[in-house]
Amino acid sequence: MTRTPDNRPHLTVTLTINGEKRELDLDARVTLLDALRDRLGLTGTKKGCDQGACGACTVMADGRRVLSCLTLAAQCEGREITTIEGLSADGALHPVQEAFVRHDAFQCGYCTPGQVMSAVCLLTEGRAGSDADIREFMSGNLCRCGAYPNIVAAIRELAGDGDA
Amino acid sequence: MNTSVDRVDGPLKVRGAATYPNDVDVPGLAYAAVVRSTIAAGRIARLDTRAAEDSPGVLAVLTHLNAPKLEPGPQSFLGTPPPPLQDDRIVYHGQYVAVVVAETPEQASAAARRVEAGYEAVEPRLRMDDPRAERLVNPWGMDASWGDVRAALNDAEVMVDAAYTTAENTNNPLGPFGTVAAWEGDALTVHDSTQWPVHVRATLARMFGVPEAGVRVLVPYVGGGFGTGLRVWPHVALAALAAREAGRPVKLVLTRPEMFTGVGHRTATTQRVRLGAARDGRLTAIEHESVSTLSIEGDNIEPCSSVSTGAYACPNVATSDQLVRLNIPWTSSMRAPGEAQGNFALESAMDELAHELGLDPLVLRLRNYAETHPQHGLPYSSKALRECYEAGAERFGWSRRPSQPRSTLDGDEYVGYGMAGISYFWYQAPCQAMATLRADGTAYVGSAVTDIGTGTYTVMTQLSAELLGLERDQVTFALGDTALPPGVHAGGSGLTAAAGSAVYAACRNLIQAFLDAATADPGSPLAGCALDDVTVAGGRIHRRGEPERGESYTALLAARGLAELSAHGESTPRQPQEAGMAPAGPFGARFVEVRVDPELGRLRVTRVVSAIDGGRILNEKLARSQIIGGTVGGIGMTLFEETVTDADTGRVANATFGDYLVPVNADIPDLEVIFVGGPDPFNPIGVKGVGEIGLVGMAAAIANAVFHATGRRIRSTPITIERLLM
Repeated sequence: MTRTPDNRPHLTVTLTINGEKRELDLDARVTLLDALRDRLGLTGTKKGCDQGACGACTVMADGRRVLSCLTLAAQCEGREITTIEGLSADGALHPVQEAFVRHDAFQCGYCTPGQVMSAVCLLTEGRAGSDADIREFMSGNLCRCGAYPNIVAAIRELAGDGDA
Repeated sequence: MNTSVDRVDGPLKVRGAATYPNDVDVPGLAYAAVVRSTIAAGRIARLDTRAAEDSPGVLAVLTHLNAPKLEPGPQSFLGTPPPPLQDDRIVYHGQYVAVVVAETPEQASAAARRVEAGYEAVEPRLRMDDPRAERLVNPWGMDASWGDVRAALNDAEVMVDAAYTTAENTNNPLGPFGTVAAWEGDALTVHDSTQWPVHVRATLARMFGVPEAGVRVLVPYVGGGFGTGLRVWPHVALAALAAREAGRPVKLVLTRPEMFTGVGHRTATTQRVRLGAARDGRLTAIEHESVSTLSIEGDNIEPCSSVSTGAYACPNVATSDQLVRLNIPWTSSMRAPGEAQGNFALESAMDELAHELGLDPLVLRLRNYAETHPQHGLPYSSKALRECYEAGAERFGWSRRPSQPRSTLDGDEYVGYGMAGISYFWYQAPCQAMATLRADGTAYVGSAVTDIGTGTYTVMTQLSAELLGLERDQVTFALGDTALPPGVHAGGSGLTAAAGSAVYAACRNLIQAFLDAATADPGSPLAGCALDDVTVAGGRIHRRGEPERGESYTALLAARGLAELSAHGESTPRQPQEAGMAPAGPFGARFVEVRVDPELGRLRVTRVVSAIDGGRILNEKLARSQIIGGTVGGIGMTLFEETVTDADTGRVANATFGDYLVPVNADIPDLEVIFVGGPDPFNPIGVKGVGEIGLVGMAAAIANAVFHATGRRIRSTPITIERLLM
């Protein structure tokens, strides 16, 4: 670690984003969210509050949900980060993304990448066993447009497929 | 027309590939951060920006001491925030006192914290009953009265006289508002979170004294708005100012706390409703008085009492609104402005009256059903409110509701049922659109409107395809760009009617242009045809009833060697008196089940049935989403949302998502939506707006259900635990 002219910590971080290694020269204050958005041009991950309260910035770190606004980029050295852009290859849609479109599980779409990432993990973790579970475990992702019933319907459909 | 089409922009949004204003990057971008006042009233006595200027990466620090003079923006009936940094006066806590521009966002916000401001504070006016506060009587000239309300109230066999209050709410779209501004000489390109791009263009051109033609505003996607994107807020001008002074493109994105002070919020109200009725339930008098909050320099059109002019047949009605100017951030539009608060008071009072009379609340509403518009007696262009009541009650099982309050206990919880009716106002403003058919048979249709999540892209694509006789995937609808014809704002539930009517006109004019081209060739099977003689299908125009006598668009273009044909269209709403009818807004009925735990004071909404007359529904899937989204907003207003102002300092005390509660997934049950009614003849496409009505009526229906569950009448929103326990 080095110091900037104003004596702030400065470092070089190697991040693995969507399977690709990216080396970044960063102010140590930079969050994973800002590194993704402002340094790497991966703007699919959204900033809704920057305080860990809305879930719009949800990404996966080693397959687990994390709030990238509360995670410093420097903490992510050596971890596999998956963002919404890495969820499916070549413009195809992940089954969760397809279900969100089919059930109209969003309106403005701003919270949607975070909702989708949470829903993918929820299904992987086997926590979508009932509507009440889906509602509870999706409650870290705010949707101000109020698409909640459609989000539940989208996840319910996939959980019913036996993926969960 | 298939009425349950998936969103055309859906795949882009679920992939995170839709570009919102704060996602925009341009070469050489610098970042801005704001400094806000820490008093609510007074003046800036001292400013020290040296430490900020000396901070790493800082390009400029602007305050009222060095900012250039900006002209006020053009007046808008919705309110016109003044340009920022023009003098030392402070009129609310959180007002911008400086903007810092730096190479990175971290450097900008760190330097912003080093700006030192000192103030001469005076005691702020923060309470609605502050005698020093300026009071505006009948601020919009919309107070109404007919008959003799006082006499009717004196003579009434039964009367309800009750006061209601609603709290301030903050829109809080999930996408923080932001602006990216880039100058090239006098030309300015702006990516902005707005619901009204052409107004942003006009405002910035006026403020900076540059030609409007050189200002381009882009907003292909916006992360919600719920009304807050209807004004050009000071940060928009700050971004353009910072970009000009720093000589660099600048991005300014508000933080979540700044979203509570910088982009408007819903007024608080205190209302008094007096209802007089005969024993049989017929209303003889409605008096509705409302007082709302207003900021010191703000204007905000938001009548609350007007709901009582259009709801029920009643011979004696008087409504009035007042505003009280306080040292608070701007009040402005939030989904169903005025209606949300006014309906809560009126529909709660109707429930109280039903209880007084021993009548079923639904029967009371039907007994006072307005067959014609109560205020001027004109017949409605369409009204299926009766069908809303009937279909909603049937689906909900309303007739099985026990008549006595506090009569159903299920485990530890009291169960209650409540309902409310809604007669939403009609609103439509002028709009323009264009339509082009190209040699490959595809169409490009557009208007400088926005899609704030309502589905504009999708329904305008559907509508254009229908009007031109094309498949949906042959049509591209463009919006969110002031290079397109001037589009209407996304407000007043009026966008679909206005833009849809403009698209209707553009598509008709385009077909006329093809007919003109055909007529130039006497051999064409369409030669001499007028618009009403033809119909369109499968990419062809043909004579009505004679599908074989026609020509395809592509053949018509090819025969004349044209690459494309274009047409322009405009819509201007008709005047009600001229049309001989009262243009109808949407109508609706809400039926709600709640459960209240009397030990904990915990209130849950466990079932909602909404029956809506939205005229012709262009896309049932998306319209349903509008209603459920509004319903969630209404549950928020009723159970959780309250923007709390610190009584001493005027600071918004709960300006985070941790403190200002909005509904989460677990707060929302499955929501049932029924559409009734049919096309409304007031506009050529038959629609009414459904963007706001979904929120209206929830507060009253929930409060009425709480009364039915517990026997306790709550006349204030939000209905928090402490209000239920008290």
